[in-house]
Amino acid sequence: MAGLPRRITKETQRLLSEPVQGISATPDENNLRYFHVTINGPKDSPFEGGVFKLELFLPEEYPMAAPKVRFNTKIYHPNIDKIGRICLDILKDKWSPALQVRTVLLSIQALLSAPNPDDPLANDVADNWKRNEAAAIKTAREWTQKYAMSGGQ
Amino acid sequence: MSTCEKPRTFVLLEELDEGIKGEGDGTISWGLCDDEDSSLTKWIGTIIGPPKTVFEGRIYQLVLHCGEKYPKVAPEVKFNTKVNLPFVSATGHIDSRRFHYLLNWTKSCTMKSLLKEIRRLMTERSYQKLKQPPENMEY
Repeated sequence: MAGLPRRITKETQRLLSEPVQGISATPDENNLRYFHVTINGPKDSPFEGGVFKLELFLPEEYPMAAPKVRFNTKIYHPNIDKIGRICLDILKDKWSPALQVRTVLLSIQALLSAPNPDDPLANDVADNWKRNEAAAIKTAREWTQKYAMSGGQ
Repeated sequence: MSTCEKPRTFVLLEELDEGIKGEGDGTISWGLCDDEDSSLTKWIGTIIGPPKTVFEGRIYQLVLHCGEKYPKVAPEVKFNTKVNLPFVSATGHIDSRRFHYLLNWTKSCTMKSLLKEIRRLMTERSYQKLKQPPENMEY
């Protein structure tokens, strides 16, 4: 673990020993700043029952700079675009070194429970969400089944 | 096995961001071929031929293929727009053995610097004698 800051070692240990419910984060065996993450779709959301894969990287400047995160599983969500990028303030200008990998993953899980179509990244999804929420939720559920359940990518 | 190495996805997402911001003077640009391609594999680049050269004002389109091992392994690069350059094959592929930038590719190289280097080479004096195909022809 030469060169890995103590803070990252600590955070990793805690993530593994006290995992957050519905979230797993495993460091890559060749790169301890790189995590393979899964987030279970929260209960009572259109993502329920899905297991979403993400990747997370702690840049050299971490914790002064935010972790980099993206979804690898396709998801129909107004704040997540077609290539998996996430629109979340704490990953951008609201990042603070007081936050951790754990808080970031919890915030992403919360974003799945509470999509925010007024601060969109995937514009057409946000438009649909605002115009016809029921239909958008139905599509989100279909995508969850298609891409985030066993056999999906 | 450096623990600080940036994974492929995040290297490419940064290149995508930078491509969207643009290079300022607009003489080169790059972006994903398909904005839904979450594998971030197939890219399109453009180069505007530099002034006072045989390439002047022409728009050259290239396809860059960033494989699984990018950026450790250089992208495969192919011109879509016909051009006569010694390091470009008859099918438009750039021959990495004849193009030093690809030959000496390292993981800190980027598509931006690659496109810039091609454009710089277009100003080489010895290339100004090369007869160019008619404009807007494709491979």
